[in-house]
Amino acid sequence: MRPIIETEVVVIGGGVTGVGVLRDLTLRGIKAVLVEQRDFVHGTSSRNHGLLHSGARYAVRDEEAAIESYRENLILKKTVPGSVEATGGIFAKVPEDNDDYVAKWVKACAKVGIPTKEIPVAEAIKQEPYLNKQVQAVYHVPDGAVDPFTLAIDVAADAITRGAKVLTYSEVVAINKKGSAVSSVTVSNRYTGEKTDIHTNLVINAAGPWGSQVAALAEVPLKLINNKGMLTVMNHRINKQVINRLRMPGDADIFVPAHNVTIFGTTGRNVESPEDFSLDRHELEQMLKEGEALVPGVTEMRMIRAFTGSRPLYQDTDDSDSSGRNVTRGLALLDHSTRDGLDGFITITGGKLTTFRYMAEKTVDLVCEKLGVNVACTTHEEPVSHRDAKQFFKETDIAPAAKTKLFHWAGKNAKEIETSLNNETEDKIVVCECEQITWAEIKAAMPDGRFNLTDIRRRTRLGMGPCQGTFCNQRVAALAVEKGLATQEEADWALRDAVTNRVKGMGVVATGETSKQLQMMETIYKVSLGLNEEGKSNV
Amino acid sequence: MHELSFHETTFEKCLKCNACTVSCPISNTTLDFGGPKHLGPELKRMMDHQEVIDDSRIELCTLCGTCDTSCPENVHVSTLTSYAKAIHAKEKGTKFRDIVLSNAELVGKLASTFAPITNMTMKIKPVRKVMQMVLGIHADRQFPSYEFSNFKRRYNKKHATTERKVAYFTGCYATYNAPDVAGSFIKVMEYNGIDVAIPEQKCCGVPMFANGQMKQGLKNAQFNTNSLLEYTRQGYDIVMTCTSCTSAFKKEYASYLKTEEAKELARHIYDADEYLRILNEEGELNTNFATINAKVGYYAPCHMKGQGIGNPAMDILELIPGFEIQDMAAGCCGQCGTFGFKEEKYPYSLELGKTMATAVEELDADYTVTECGMCKNQLDQLTNKQVKHPMQILKSAYEKVPVNS
Repeated sequence: MRPIIETEVVVIGGGVTGVGVLRDLTLRGIKAVLVEQRDFVHGTSSRNHGLLHSGARYAVRDEEAAIESYRENLILKKTVPGSVEATGGIFAKVPEDNDDYVAKWVKACAKVGIPTKEIPVAEAIKQEPYLNKQVQAVYHVPDGAVDPFTLAIDVAADAITRGAKVLTYSEVVAINKKGSAVSSVTVSNRYTGEKTDIHTNLVINAAGPWGSQVAALAEVPLKLINNKGMLTVMNHRINKQVINRLRMPGDADIFVPAHNVTIFGTTGRNVESPEDFSLDRHELEQMLKEGEALVPGVTEMRMIRAFTGSRPLYQDTDDSDSSGRNVTRGLALLDHSTRDGLDGFITITGGKLTTFRYMAEKTVDLVCEKLGVNVACTTHEEPVSHRDAKQFFKETDIAPAAKTKLFHWAGKNAKEIETSLNNETEDKIVVCECEQITWAEIKAAMPDGRFNLTDIRRRTRLGMGPCQGTFCNQRVAALAVEKGLATQEEADWALRDAVTNRVKGMGVVATGETSKQLQMMETIYKVSLGLNEEGKSNV
Repeated sequence: MHELSFHETTFEKCLKCNACTVSCPISNTTLDFGGPKHLGPELKRMMDHQEVIDDSRIELCTLCGTCDTSCPENVHVSTLTSYAKAIHAKEKGTKFRDIVLSNAELVGKLASTFAPITNMTMKIKPVRKVMQMVLGIHADRQFPSYEFSNFKRRYNKKHATTERKVAYFTGCYATYNAPDVAGSFIKVMEYNGIDVAIPEQKCCGVPMFANGQMKQGLKNAQFNTNSLLEYTRQGYDIVMTCTSCTSAFKKEYASYLKTEEAKELARHIYDADEYLRILNEEGELNTNFATINAKVGYYAPCHMKGQGIGNPAMDILELIPGFEIQDMAAGCCGQCGTFGFKEEKYPYSLELGKTMATAVEELDADYTVTECGMCKNQLDQLTNKQVKHPMQILKSAYEKVPVNS
C-alpha cells in the first residue's frame, strides 16, 4: 500500500506563488499540503531579476499591473522585511529614447499614485558612478530588491510552523478524479521513486511554466505562453539602487542589485518546454549591447554566470507576440469548475514576483468560497519573521565580513548559529569565502532529505560568488561526509550535480577572467579531485 | 569619504586562487591574519555599494607587496589592503603611537637634532619599559640610531650640471639614520661623472599608508610628485637608495593617486643599483673597482622584490673583483617598517624574522648586504653580522683603487 496523506487542499508548485498560497491557506485555518517537483524556487521564482517593482515600469501600458505592483511593494516591505532591500530605484532617460514617453510616464505614475521624484543628472551620476554620463533625465522611484530564495523559504517555513505540510522532490504523476471532481493527487519522489497518494477535494495548480503539464494531468486544456528571459549576474554589485531605462519596457533595461552582485537583463522569447533553460551566447551579446545605453562598458565587465527562466504568461485570446512584452503582467485565476467543468481544480498563473501575495490572496478567497470558509485574508498585515539578527553574535569571534552576512541573514537560525559558533571552533570555518558562509550557517540551513549542494546554495548563497563553488562545494561535501551528514555516494552525486550546473551558467559568459575561473574550477574538480561524470571522486 | 569609496576595480579580476595568501609572509606565520585575498579583493567586492566592513586584522598587513607580485591576474592587492587600513583607522581611530611611527620624517628631524641624547636614551632599559607602557613600543626592540650630522646638513645641491643628471630622493632613513649611505651614493655617482641634485621632498608616505594614514600619505605623494616632475621634465633621472621609497614611487603613487602625473613620474624612477646596472648595460659604468676579497650574504627586501627588477644589487656588486655574494632568499625580515616596533606586533616580527636569522647564521658570511634600512634594523637585532648598503661597498671599491691605475 502506498502512503496516504489526507488534506483539504493540495498546492502544486513550490515557487513564490505556491508558498504564498500555502501560507494564506494555513493562516485561514485550511489544511494544506504543498508538493514541489524539486526544491523551492527551482523554477521561475529563482530565475528572475529579484526586482521589487514600484509599478513604474508598467504605469504607461498596464495600469492594473502598476497599481497592484505598487500596493504589493509597500506590503512586502512591511511583511517580508528580511527578504527585501529597500534600495530605491531610478528611471533614467538616455539620448536615444523618446522624449514624449517621459512626460507620459510621469503623468501615468502620478495617475496611479506611484511617487516619482526627478533628481539632477549630476546627483544621479554621483549616486551611481556606472550610470551613463549622457543620461538626460533621472527620476527616483520606490523600487527595491527582493531575494526570491529567502522569500520563498521564509514564507514556506512560516506556513510549516502553522501546520502546513511540504513535500519537495515530489513530482505530481497523476491527478485522480471521481466523476467530475478531483479526488486525489499522486506524487513520486524524485530520488527514490516512491509514490504517495494525497487525498483532497481541491487542487491548486501553481506550477508556473509547468502549469500546462499539470493541467494536462487533470485533462484540462490550458495554454500558457512560456516566455523565456535571460539574465546575467555581474561579478560585483555595480549599483546601489535599481537602475531602469525610462522607455517602453523592452529587453536589457534593468539592473537590480542583489546582495554582493547586480543582476542585469532581460530578454523575452517564447519557448515550448518549461524545462528549456538553454543559454544562447548571441542572445547574451545582444542584451549586453543594449545594456550599454544605461551602463557603458557593461559588455566588458566581468560576469559570474547567466541563467534563464520562463515567465508563465496567460491570455484568453490568441496572440502572436513572440517577445511576450505585450501580454499583461496581471494575474490569471482560473476556476476550472466553471471554465472546464472539473470541480476542485484551480489554476493561478501569470502575475509577478512582486504580486505573489496578492495572487495567493485571490486564490485562497476562491478556495474559501468553495469550502464555505468565512475567514478574511491577513497576509497583508501578518509579517513573516525578519532575517535581521543584529542583537546576536556580539561576542562571536569570526571575520567581520562573515558577521555582517549573519546580521542580515541568520534570522530565525541566529540563536542556533551563535551557539555553535561560540562553542565549536570548526563551525567558524568560512567554507564559502566569496559569500562569507561559515560551517555553522550551513549546518543550520541544511534542509532535511538527501544531501544536495544546490538546495544548500538556495538557503545560504553557498557557491554564488565569483568562484562558483570551486572551493566551497568540495569543502562542504567533505565536511558533510566527515560529520556524517552525507554518505560518500551522496556527496559525490551532489558535487557532480552542483559542478555541472555551475559550469553551464559560467560557460556562456566565459570570456576573460570568467573563462580562467571556469578552467580553474574544471581543473580542480576533474584533474585534482578526479571527479568525472560517472565514476567516483577522490574528495 | 574619499578613502572609503575609493575607485579601484582590479579586484574584479581575482580568481580566488589564493596565490597571494599562500605567499603572504604574515599568513605563513600566523592564523590571526585574514590573509591578503580576504582583506583585499574579497572585502572590497563585498563593500562596493554596500556597507563598509572594518576588519581589525588588517593591522597585521605590513604592506610588503608580496601579494602583488604573486597575483597571476595583476590584482592590486596591496592597494586594496592599504585602503582597508585606512578604513580601519577611520572607523577605530589611530593610536598616538601609530601617528608617531607613521611620521618617520618628523621623528627623524627631532631625533637627529638631539641625536646623542636620543640614541643613548633609547638604550636605557627603564626608559624603554616606560615607552612600552605609555606608547606601546616594545622595550626589547632595538632602534636605529640617529645622526646629528644628518644628510641635509651635509649636502644640499639643488641642480646638476653634468650631461646625465640625477635627482636623489634621499628618503628619511638615509637622511636621518644613515647619512653615510646617502653620502656613499653621491660618491658613487661622482665616480661615474654624474652630478646629483637633491629635490625638495617629503617622506615617501610608506609608513603612513602602513598605518592607515592614507590622507597624509597621499598629500606627501602629491607633493613629491609635483616636486620631482619638475626635475624629470628637465631630463633628470630620479634615483633612490631606499627600496621602499622606490617602490612607493613606482607602484603605490600610480595605483593610489591614479593621475597621469604619477604615472609619468613612475617611468623615471630607479633604484640606485638598477640605475647603475643600466649604466653598465649602456657601457657608461665606471667598472674600475678595487678587489674586495669578501664572502657576503645578500638579503633582498620585499619592496625590492616587488618592483620586478630582478636583483640589481647583486648584478652590480658581482662586478667587484674578488667579491663573492650569495642571495640568502630568506623571505621577509619581519621588521616591516613600523610594524616590528609595535608592542603587540613584536612577537610576530620575531617569528617572521627567524628564517632570515637562520639563513644568516648558516651562510656564515663576512657580512650581510641589503638596501633596506628597516631590514637592517632587524638584521642588527637578530644576527651578529655587520650589515652594509650596496652603495657603501661600491664606494669603498672605487676608493680603494690606487690613484694611478
